[in-house]
Amino acid sequence: MLKRLIIDIAYFINTSASYAKNKHFFYNLLENGDYKYKKYFDIFMITLIFISVFILVREVKAEVDYKLLFFNNYIISIIFFIEYILRLWVSSSVTDIIIKQSEYDAAIGKKFQLFKSIKKVFRVKIRYMLTVKAIIDLFAILPFFHQLRLLRVFILFRVFKLFRYAKSIQTFTSVIATKKFEFLTLFIFASIVIFVSSVLIYMVEATNPDSSITTLFEAVYWSVVTISTVGYGDIAPVTEYGRVVAMFVIVAGITVFSFTTSLIVTAFTEKLDEIKEIKLIDDIANLKEFYLICGYENVSKEVAKKLSIDNNIIILDENFAKIQQARKDGFVALNYAPGSIDSYHNLRINIATQVKAILCLGESDIQNVYTALTVRSFNKDVFILSILKKKTNRKKLVFAGVDELFYEKELVGIIAKEFVGQPVAFEAIHALRTNYNDVNIEEIIVNDRILKSFKTIGELQNKKHKVVLLGVYKKSQKEFLFNPVNDTILESGDYLLVIASEQFIEEFRAYLHIKRNR
Amino acid sequence: MKHKTALLFGHNDYSLEIQKNISMHYENVDIYKLNEDGELGFDLSDNWDDLRLKIDMKDCIVFCVLEDMAENIFLTISLRDTFKNLVIVALAENKESSDKLTLAGATMVIPSTQTTADVIVDILQKPIVTKVLHNILYEKSDLQIAQIKIQNHHLFNEKHPADIDWSEEHSVILISIVHEDMSSEFIYAPRERHHVITNGDIFVVVGYEQDIQKFEKLAGSRCE
Repeated sequence: MLKRLIIDIAYFINTSASYAKNKHFFYNLLENGDYKYKKYFDIFMITLIFISVFILVREVKAEVDYKLLFFNNYIISIIFFIEYILRLWVSSSVTDIIIKQSEYDAAIGKKFQLFKSIKKVFRVKIRYMLTVKAIIDLFAILPFFHQLRLLRVFILFRVFKLFRYAKSIQTFTSVIATKKFEFLTLFIFASIVIFVSSVLIYMVEATNPDSSITTLFEAVYWSVVTISTVGYGDIAPVTEYGRVVAMFVIVAGITVFSFTTSLIVTAFTEKLDEIKEIKLIDDIANLKEFYLICGYENVSKEVAKKLSIDNNIIILDENFAKIQQARKDGFVALNYAPGSIDSYHNLRINIATQVKAILCLGESDIQNVYTALTVRSFNKDVFILSILKKKTNRKKLVFAGVDELFYEKELVGIIAKEFVGQPVAFEAIHALRTNYNDVNIEEIIVNDRILKSFKTIGELQNKKHKVVLLGVYKKSQKEFLFNPVNDTILESGDYLLVIASEQFIEEFRAYLHIKRNR
Repeated sequence: MKHKTALLFGHNDYSLEIQKNISMHYENVDIYKLNEDGELGFDLSDNWDDLRLKIDMKDCIVFCVLEDMAENIFLTISLRDTFKNLVIVALAENKESSDKLTLAGATMVIPSTQTTADVIVDILQKPIVTKVLHNILYEKSDLQIAQIKIQNHHLFNEKHPADIDWSEEHSVILISIVHEDMSSEFIYAPRERHHVITNGDIFVVVGYEQDIQKFEKLAGSRCE
C-alpha cells in the first residue's frame, strides 16, 4: 500500500509540468552559467558574503549593531541554508530513481524494493553532500549557531563560497587542476624535504642552549618558512650542522618555488587558447545579432571587411590556418566546422534569434551545400546566402535550402553587358550604391510610428526635404511602385526608396519619425 | 546600333558568361583560346599583326579574361602597347591585380571577388534597393534606365536641374548628369544645384519606356 502510494506520488511529481518548470528554473539559477539571470543571483550572493565577512572583521575590535549581527547570523544563514537545500534538490532527481527502480523490478517480475530505492536516493544525495563545494556551503551556514563560539570561525567558509560565483576563480582552479599530478609530485617532494629537514634541525639544534629551536613544532615551522623562501629570521640555526641543513633547505626551497611558478605559467600557457575561446563563446552568446560567415576565402574576406563596419560578424572555418588568418585580419573567428550540428550546439548560437543571415562562402559547392543542409536540418527560417562555384550545382544549393545564390561568373557577365550597353547609366548606379559624392540611395521602412503621421505618399513632402522618392516597395503586393502618385496609401512594412545626400536622408528619416497630431 | 566586334581572350566560364550577355550589342563576339593553333587561338608572344589585318580595331572592344592573373596582365599590357585607343576590359581577381591591370592600361577592370562581395553586402544591408536597382539595370522589370543626350536645352529655360520637378513634369527620375567635359554629377549633390542645363549634357534617367521616349523626343536623343 505504502509502496504503491510512493510510486504514484513519484509518477505524479515526475510528470507534473509545473514541478519540472520550477526545478528547471532553480537549476538554471544555481547551476547554468548560460542562464541570463544567474549573474544577478551570483552578484546577490557575493554581496551577502562580503557583508558577512565585513561584519566578522568589524566585530573583532568594535561593537557591531545588534541588527547587523542579527542579519549576519540569521538572515544570511537562512538564505544560505535555502540555497543549500535547493542545490541538494536540483543535484539529482529522487522521483527518477524511484520510478527507474519500480520499472526495473516490474521488468524482472519482482515486487518494488522500496528500501533499495531509498538507499540509492540516499547514496546519490550523500555523494553530492560530500563534494567540496557542498561541504563549503554547509560550513557557511554554521555561523547560524553563533552561540557556539567555535562555529563562528566557519563564517570564513563563506569566503570560499566565492568560488561558486566568481568565474575567474573557477577558471584558475580548472587551469591548476590540469597539472594535478605535477603539483602532487612537487607537494610530496616539499613534504619530504620539510620532514627530513625538521627532524635533522631538531636533532642538531634542540640540545644547543643558544638555539631558538627547542621543540619539533619550531623545527617544522622553521623548515616551512625557509623552504617557502620567506625566511622571517625569528628562528635561525646557530650550530654548524644546523646551518648545513639550512643550506640544503634553502636550495630545495628555490627548486620548489621555481618549479611551482613554472608549473602555473605552463598550465596557463597551455590553457590560454581554451580560456580565450571560452570567453569568446560567452561573448558570442551575449550578442544580440550577427552575421555568420561559413568559410574564410577570398570573397568572405571582402564580405567580412564590408559587413563588419556596421555589424557583428562571426566566422567559422574548420581549417585552423584560415581561422588564424581571419583573426589576424581582425575578425571574430572560431575553428569549428560549419557543416556540423555540434558546432552550433557547442557555440550556443541561437540561430532563430541571434543570426541575421548565414553566408555560405566556402571554397567549394560541396562544402556550401553541406553547411546549408546542416543549418536547414534544425532551422527552416534563417536566411541563407551562398556563392555558387560551378553553374551545374545551382539546383543542388537551392535544394539544400539556400535562399539567395551568387554566381561570380554570371555577375561578371552582366556587369560587362551593362558596361558595353549603357556605361554612363552603369557608372551612375554604381556610384549611387557606393555613396559616391555623399549622394546615397536608402530604404526607409514604413513603421506604425510613421503611419500615425503619414497616410499617403503625398503627405510625406519629400520634395520639401530635398529628397527624391524613387518609389515605394509595397509589402502586401510584393511589388515596387516607381514614382508613385500622391494618393498612394502607405502600409506598415512598405519601404520608401529615397535618393539624396546622406544628410538630407537622415533629416528626412528623423522628420518621418517625429510624432505629429493629425 | 550594334558595334562590330568584341574579342574575348581566354576560354572559360567568365568568357562564356560575357559572350552570352553582350552578344546583343555586337555583330561578332569571338572567344580566343590561349596557346591554341588556328583561327581563334593566340599565345602571349603574338605581335597582333594578324588581328589588325582581320579586324577593324577602331570599332572593337576587347575582354581580357585569362584566369591566371600574371598572364592576364601581360596580355593587357601587350594589347595596350599595340593598340593605343582600344577599349580593354580586364578581369581581376582581387584589389592587387585590379591595380596592376589599371597600370597595364585596361580601360575598365572588373574585380570579380570585390564585385561578388559588394553584391552580397548590398543584398544583406539594402535588399530592396539592391533588387530594384538590379532589375532596372538588367532590364528585369518594365522600368528602364537610359542615357539621354540633351539637344534642346531651351526646354529647361536655363533652370537648374534641382529646381525641376522631374517626376511631376516628365514622369521620369533624373539620377545623374554627365557634363560635356565628362565629369559626372548627381543632381542632388550641392555643387550641381548651380549648373545650368546645356546641350551636350547626358542625363541618366529612370522611368517607364513610354515616358522615357516622350522625354527623349522633347529633350534630345538616347545615346549608348
